[in-house]
Amino acid sequence: MPAVAQFFRGGRSLAALGATLGMALSPMTPARAVDSGGAYAQHHVQLPDAAGRSIAAYALPRVQLVRADGKRVLLADELNDGRAVVLDFVYTTCTSVCPLSSQTFAALQDKLGIERDRVHLVSISIDPEQDTPDRLQEYARHFDAGPQWQFYTGTAEASLRVQQAFRAYSGDKMSHPPLTLLRVAPGKPWVRFDGFATVDQLLHELQNQVAVQ
Amino acid sequence: MKTWRAGACAALAVACLGFSSVARADAPPSSKQAAVGEAIYRNGVLASGAPLEGQRERGAGLGGGLVTKGADAACVNCHLRSGLGSISNDRRVSIPPVAGQYLFQPRNMKASDHDLPYVENVKADREPYTDATLARAIREGIDSDGKPLGTLMPRFALDDADMSALIAYLKSLDRRKEPGVTDTVLHFATIITPDADPVKRRGMLDVLNRYIADKNAFPFSPTPHLRSSGKGIYSKSLYMANRHWQLHVWELTGPADTWDAQLEDHLAKEPVFAVLSGLGGSNWAPVHAFCEREQLPCLFPNVEVPVVADRDFYTLYFSKGVLLEAGLIAKSIAEPDSGPPVRSVLQVYREGDSGEAAAHALAAAVGRSGIAVRSEAIAAASEPGKGVAQALQKAMKGDALVLWLRPNDIAALGAAPAEAGTVYMSGLMGGLEQAPLPEGWRSHIRMAYPFDLPDARVVRVDFPLGWFSFRHIPVVAEQVQVDTYLACGLLAETLSHSADTFVREYLVERMEELLEHRYLTGYYPRLALAEWQRFASKGGYVVRFADPAGNRLVAAREWTVP
Repeated sequence: MPAVAQFFRGGRSLAALGATLGMALSPMTPARAVDSGGAYAQHHVQLPDAAGRSIAAYALPRVQLVRADGKRVLLADELNDGRAVVLDFVYTTCTSVCPLSSQTFAALQDKLGIERDRVHLVSISIDPEQDTPDRLQEYARHFDAGPQWQFYTGTAEASLRVQQAFRAYSGDKMSHPPLTLLRVAPGKPWVRFDGFATVDQLLHELQNQVAVQ
Repeated sequence: MKTWRAGACAALAVACLGFSSVARADAPPSSKQAAVGEAIYRNGVLASGAPLEGQRERGAGLGGGLVTKGADAACVNCHLRSGLGSISNDRRVSIPPVAGQYLFQPRNMKASDHDLPYVENVKADREPYTDATLARAIREGIDSDGKPLGTLMPRFALDDADMSALIAYLKSLDRRKEPGVTDTVLHFATIITPDADPVKRRGMLDVLNRYIADKNAFPFSPTPHLRSSGKGIYSKSLYMANRHWQLHVWELTGPADTWDAQLEDHLAKEPVFAVLSGLGGSNWAPVHAFCEREQLPCLFPNVEVPVVADRDFYTLYFSKGVLLEAGLIAKSIAEPDSGPPVRSVLQVYREGDSGEAAAHALAAAVGRSGIAVRSEAIAAASEPGKGVAQALQKAMKGDALVLWLRPNDIAALGAAPAEAGTVYMSGLMGGLEQAPLPEGWRSHIRMAYPFDLPDARVVRVDFPLGWFSFRHIPVVAEQVQVDTYLACGLLAETLSHSADTFVREYLVERMEELLEHRYLTGYYPRLALAEWQRFASKGGYVVRFADPAGNRLVAAREWTVP
């Protein structure tokens, strides 16, 4: 029979069932879901209406990414050009979480008006092999991204390192939680929004801290 | 047998409901309302042809929230084709099932009355919906208990006719009975086209048959404890999760335009839940079209020329095969790793073989960069030595050669041309590192290699090879056999994570989601899918031989996604 090593890494079922890899071999796996889980209530943690805000410090890894225009860039150079940064992780074939995050970015750039030039919106692909620069450009057009909103891809390893650096890696792209990171200037701490940050939340954060009018 | 589309019984859906044994084939015929409901759900198009419009209440101050329209607003994006929704790893994003039974199922039923397939994200702790409360949920975002729905769920503007069409469609998504699934057996088919390589065919069937025999010899028996305990409302749908697998080998014969009828005939005689692995020659399109039409998952067939249609749903491929190789070679020609820039290309392929499609793809890709491409087709029936020699005589000084050739043609290449520049070749067609290149060619070769490098994959491939060896399965076509073994393992594991929810669309959706977690990925460095992604491994190397003799390869170009 297949060795334990054959089985999927983690996986939502495993995580959800609190099962170990070894337990995945067991025919009891589905049963555990039922026996242990009369607690269906826990299945439906409602996302808070406004995203949870916290302050965090992250060490930027030395990672090369490929911008949607095909240029190879260093993550740190892109983030440390003096502008405020609003950053999220997306993938272009995502149909649930990312479209809402991207809609929020699109609305944010509209609402920033002329001040948008002082803000750098950064969307980094968590599916970099699928999301070639061409596909990212197409995605950017779909959301009417202006020049201040840029998309990045790169190798699978590079994307993973960035996700890990921002504690954004959830094991697989399809179950990545909504997350937005904001930093008003290089050297300042990051503000982290877990959940769907609203346009107003992001705007408020930017206005308070950089006096974007 | 013609199966009915899931949405086809919407008009009579209320009548269908409650007949848990309704199989797809017995469902009522299509109707206008069904088509409307399906178009709203799948494409975000209303009966009037106008785009469906949804609005999320968030982002107020923008003139009324974030508006989503048309295909972006379609229900399928989140609730998926199966209607069974999904739940994220960390369980923070939960998209509940909307297939009718889950919405309308009465509360407090006895466990024994439940026959719904178990899905983790089900909401069992709220009032059952009525048509009226469901319409309110869709329009106003208020659930059956009067609580607001999650942030992701937009509020949709639907008139009464569109609303009833959509609700009828949801009711038609009956998820209780699929063809090819009995209480004790899961039926699978594998499809082999008549132009498939006979050696690979034998190798693939050895693996499939042995894998299934092993699986059936050591079954996880249904657990009597759980069966009788009635614990949890889904126990009835869980206890039989480990059925025997039965494989039906569908060997096609004759010309390709007769395959569809043959496949229909096979499916009518031997209804199956899904197609597992399979082997094609240069033309898989009729099989792909059949599986799409019959809504039959086709999981990782061994195919050199897959159908590239990311909006299709039912066939999942390991890679784009020779089409990927064409992309890799095109990149390499545009940015050569050594020597002067390439100005012209001569490619050689056999008429009717997989190289023909690859050559077209290469010509299109290279043509865009302004490099001249000439293609020489060798007559299908000509002798290896003669045909290839004649084609190569057309080479001009400075040409980069591209060889879409099989090992017998490669072995007959003769002496390397005196002024040969870089020679690109298809690894898939030519036999990878075992390609029988005559003396003198090896140092010129750049081979498209849509797999991980041999040294890097050794651990991942060692396991299946050990498994073959222990079972005395001759290794006659290593890559095909390892891929076949991988396909079997992926299916088994996906089913083990799907409880007893035997729904064809759900199988595909679970595979999309779980694939990324697999770490023994055989020949591939990693595999991943998503909605609208049908090729699990996206890139490849261009390699050269490390030594004038021997099979050791080194990368001439880093892993590239063309």
